[in-house]
Amino acid sequence: MEQKDIYILGIESSCDETAASVVKNGRDVLSNIISSQISIHRKYGGVVPEIASRKHIEHIMPVIDAALEDAKVTLEQIDGVAVTYGPGLVGALLVGLSAAKALAWATGKPLLGVNHLEGHVFANFINDKSLEPPFLALVVSGGHTALLKVTGYNSFEMLGQTRDDAAGEAFDKIARVMGLPYPGGPEIEKLAMEGNPKAIDFPRAMLDDPFQFSFSGMKSSVINYLHNEEQARRPVNRADVAASFQEAVTDVLVQKSVLAIKATGLKEIVLAGGVSANKTLQYKLAAAAKKAGARLVHPTKILCTDNAVMIACRGYYMYQAGVISPWDLNAVPALKLGYKSRGE
Amino acid sequence: MLTLALDTATRVCTVGLVQDGHVLAEYDISVGLTHSEGLMPQLDQMFARTGIKKENIDRIAVSIGPGSFTGLRIGLAAAEAMAYAWQCGICGVNTLEAMAYNIPVEGVVLAPVLDAQKGSFYTAFYEWTGGELREVRPVEMADRETLLQQLQHCGKPVLLMGECEKLMKQELPYGISVAPEQVRLPKASSVALAAEGTEPLTGEDVFTLRPYYIRKSEAEELWEKRHPQG
Repeated sequence: MEQKDIYILGIESSCDETAASVVKNGRDVLSNIISSQISIHRKYGGVVPEIASRKHIEHIMPVIDAALEDAKVTLEQIDGVAVTYGPGLVGALLVGLSAAKALAWATGKPLLGVNHLEGHVFANFINDKSLEPPFLALVVSGGHTALLKVTGYNSFEMLGQTRDDAAGEAFDKIARVMGLPYPGGPEIEKLAMEGNPKAIDFPRAMLDDPFQFSFSGMKSSVINYLHNEEQARRPVNRADVAASFQEAVTDVLVQKSVLAIKATGLKEIVLAGGVSANKTLQYKLAAAAKKAGARLVHPTKILCTDNAVMIACRGYYMYQAGVISPWDLNAVPALKLGYKSRGE
Repeated sequence: MLTLALDTATRVCTVGLVQDGHVLAEYDISVGLTHSEGLMPQLDQMFARTGIKKENIDRIAVSIGPGSFTGLRIGLAAAEAMAYAWQCGICGVNTLEAMAYNIPVEGVVLAPVLDAQKGSFYTAFYEWTGGELREVRPVEMADRETLLQQLQHCGKPVLLMGECEKLMKQELPYGISVAPEQVRLPKASSVALAAEGTEPLTGEDVFTLRPYYIRKSEAEELWEKRHPQG
């Protein structure tokens, strides 16, 4: 018997992108609409929550409408509405969540509340159709740095995470100190291309726990270096600073990932989160994973940053497992990885 | 005509069904739940208890502000999504004006206020004459002293409504009293009644409805202060 196709509408508004998407059977992207606010927040040097929320409410329904239209799927054909309910900016989350809940309720369809971080991991299912659990995931974003064991489509085991700053946070902070425009991560990467990654030896915190991270010491060390050179009136080679910092961050991420590959014996590791767009990280991790007997999977650039495709994909597997969220689902700004999904 | 109305501008979460001027149902909860938690279950229960079918809704009336920025967005996002799903019209209603429909009584000036924080209030003055609501003074932001002065000079007894707790902390001037609690705060039925006779937005115009914030975000205000040239 032929199985019925399942269409999931994904909705994402956790930070500064309003996004909607329709995904068929969890893996086929029928549409991917993203309305970015980056240019609006740039003059403030970062995302302003109230402004982000105001933009989301203007864009949310047109973006959803465009996602359905692009996919040539009607709202009636949609089987479930997946939406990010955390982590993120509470006011921003609430816009997408409120629209999603009302849309699902008004049409009598199941609501699928998605953890944004799990979504980032699931972006890899879109890029690699053969990928199946179990595998390892290195989640690296502005708010998170974690090593995760994905044991099934709905089960995750946290191996370790950052004790202080997230890797992406360190990128953004250093970019700001160096006077680079927001968002800082891609700017550091651009600058690093012209620098020498071995020029400055920034400290790499490896910690006793093999799977835990710490980036605050490294971040402070880079900032101190910049201040000291400035006070001594020595010219700073900014490209060398960017390259050496990036080298230090990626060294830590790669080494810990290799330890996790060896400890778990898993043959696949995926990258997830905004920092996974970093090419140096991708190259270094791919090479190190290969040496350790594993294969690296990472999303394409558009799926590394916030999008609704990954939310729809995550929602599909919740739908298949019958993990449906209640109508009183609230936004959870500090939602963690590895917790049970609401509705289970 | 069957109207579904909602108001999430204040701490009250209120939903209602009104048919041709008759209130079929109204469900108000004010126990400090977030609107994100409360709104959909409240709608769900109201439809279940009344047996009214969602597809029979002709239009949605939503209170668009002034009020809590987050509350307004929760209500508007939900209202727009429902209008989109049911392909029905949507009416954005001024929160202050809707409150005046709670007390359709002549001979008094109604002064609904909403807490704008930092010692300010959003307010407008209304009066019922010949069964019609008349705006005596348009929506503005005022501090306590200015607001009470204006009300003292309107020459009629005044009923304060809305979020007037902070105004009640000190004794109110003669002629100004506070509306009874059960009609003081927003009611979805009033939102529906205020929307009657107005033309709803339909089709893609549904997406053009915006919260009536009045105030810019703090970051914008600060930026403009620091960059007067723009």
